[in-house]
Amino acid sequence: MRKVEKKVDQYDVYRPHKASIKKRRLAGNIAAYTGLILISAVWLIPLVFLIFASFGVNADGTGGAGVPSTIFPEHWGVASYVVLFTDSQVPFMRWFLNTFIMALATAILSSAMTIMMSYVLSRFRFKGRRFMMNFMLVLGMFPGFLTTIVLYYVLKMLGLTQNGAIGGLILVYCASSGMGYYISKGYFDTIPKSLDEAAYVDGATKFQVFYKIMLPLAKPILIYTVLTAFMAPWGDFVFARYISFGYSDSYNVAVGLWSLLQQDKIANYFTVFCAGGVLVSLPVTILFICLQRYYVSGVTGGAVKG
Amino acid sequence: MARVQLEKVKKIYQGNVVAVHEFNLDIKDKEFVVFVGPSGCGKSTTLRMIAGLEDISEGTIKIDGEVVNDLPPKDRGIAMVFQNYALYPHLTVFENMAFSLRLKKNPKMSQDEIYKRVTDAAKILGITEYLTRKPKALSGGQRQRVAIGRAMVRESKIFLMDEPLSNLDAKLRNQMRAEIILLRKKINSTFVYVTHDQTEAMTLGDRIVIMKDGYIQQVGTPIEVFDMPDNMFVAGFIGAPMMNFIECDLIKDKTKYYVNPFDSKILVDSSKGTELKSKNIKTQKIILGVRPEHIELASKSSSSAFACKVKVCEMMGSELHVHGEVKGNDIIVRIPTISITPDQKEKLLTAGSTIYLTFTGKVMHFFDKETKINILTKHKNVPVNK
Repeated sequence: MRKVEKKVDQYDVYRPHKASIKKRRLAGNIAAYTGLILISAVWLIPLVFLIFASFGVNADGTGGAGVPSTIFPEHWGVASYVVLFTDSQVPFMRWFLNTFIMALATAILSSAMTIMMSYVLSRFRFKGRRFMMNFMLVLGMFPGFLTTIVLYYVLKMLGLTQNGAIGGLILVYCASSGMGYYISKGYFDTIPKSLDEAAYVDGATKFQVFYKIMLPLAKPILIYTVLTAFMAPWGDFVFARYISFGYSDSYNVAVGLWSLLQQDKIANYFTVFCAGGVLVSLPVTILFICLQRYYVSGVTGGAVKG
Repeated sequence: MARVQLEKVKKIYQGNVVAVHEFNLDIKDKEFVVFVGPSGCGKSTTLRMIAGLEDISEGTIKIDGEVVNDLPPKDRGIAMVFQNYALYPHLTVFENMAFSLRLKKNPKMSQDEIYKRVTDAAKILGITEYLTRKPKALSGGQRQRVAIGRAMVRESKIFLMDEPLSNLDAKLRNQMRAEIILLRKKINSTFVYVTHDQTEAMTLGDRIVIMKDGYIQQVGTPIEVFDMPDNMFVAGFIGAPMMNFIECDLIKDKTKYYVNPFDSKILVDSSKGTELKSKNIKTQKIILGVRPEHIELASKSSSSAFACKVKVCEMMGSELHVHGEVKGNDIIVRIPTISITPDQKEKLLTAGSTIYLTFTGKVMHFFDKETKINILTKHKNVPVNK
């Protein structure tokens, strides 16, 4: 008997007892979940605060209260949302529409450029291809803000600032989109080249191969590209602010809502700002929920298909 | 009509790697030509050059007399079947097959015509019930049929096939091979078929092109390349198990010739002797080639037999493959089980036992010791392999 016990002890080094594995796993889980809960709390508090604050109203029930001193508002109501659509000082619909137009245009133009660029870099071999890819990769590492001043003057010359800011901003968002080729190129690389060849033999032109064979197969990555392109204008502040400088009809939602936080307005418009913030997050959230399935397979698809 | 002529076709890849050297071949209308060779011999590259998927570095390719070097694949009137099927995964079997027909312009094909062609092809290939499925839901053999069907509906004059059967298991491969022969009778096009499997080449081809390292080694009918290989490479490549090569002397004795493999003395058959004589061949050192099926058991040591020690014996069912050793040389012998007694069988299956072997003068091939070229070849410019 003893001999057997000794043997078990010997191998325990390599194979810890079951109970201890369970315990260890439990402890690990507790630690992991605690960490995750803490992090998500840090992330969620501002959002929760924003949502609650957007439902705060003045004591007399009118919308547009100042910064609340508590997380839960003293007086509840939806008046702040009403202000967004009624107050002539707050052309929220205009801002929303501006942003939506920019997002839509960017989603179409920039995705088209990115996808086509990726396809070309994945499928065709031409002089300077390697150099181009490396050059764009390095160029992409410089922050976009470095171009701020130059961009402003160029766009100003073209009449695409202030009241022409929407066109100017679409240009800015789409301009370097081809440089974001790496993710989709990686995806195209996983699609066998013999499919292209079969299509060529079947009589397809280069463009037909691209849109009849490659695009349907690259759907996940296409959705990912469109989604990220669509999101960019909603959150952009820096470019949007200086290109539309001082011309409130050209603001996007970020700059527009920010203007409500100026010293002369914040006391009467803070809850309106919060209401606007909630509304802005809706389209992107809905899109994400609908396309989440594709989004995930788009980001990971390339790796798995290998 | 679809005649394919390749004239001095050369393929040079980046960095001066020559994949195909001066390839000359005239493929006749409705001929079935098979390119065969070990991997890296340039057979697929040549096929892809005919298809237009690969640039031609030098030389010209003509289809029906027209130079097609710079024509894109779609304008060459070809259909192609790929090794990995290359079916469009997002389309149903029907749409996969109809893809090329839908792209057709001037004149545009009517829906009815497309439907008719696809269903007709599907009927021939026995895939009618799968027309609504996606390729993912098909087995390997079914996918291969769809790939062939996709090429069939185009009714092209030239059918290119790039190792179409190599992704299938052995049983299915035999079945599909037979079906390709039937298919060929039905559609009556010119076929160019690439394979590394000599069985496929022998059974399918009207003519076989054997390639190695970018050079054509021999072009001929299956019987020609089997009975009269131009050089040792062809002799070794065609036929399984491989031909035995024995270094020995070819001895001229007045009007007769002898060979002396392993100190035996075997008379060369008179017809071969006449050929040797007409070429004025003198006594010299040669490499003698004898196919495993042409070596027989000899009852005991005579002047024309030699002793062989059995190393391994593979029981193949209807025949035995005996791997033996004679004076340091490996010898493979194929012996039909029906022709031997149980005692002999027992002996062959016992490793280490000694057997006596011989062969007749009809079945020998003589190769030059230096150039490895068949001494009796009728062809000029046979590539030298060292």
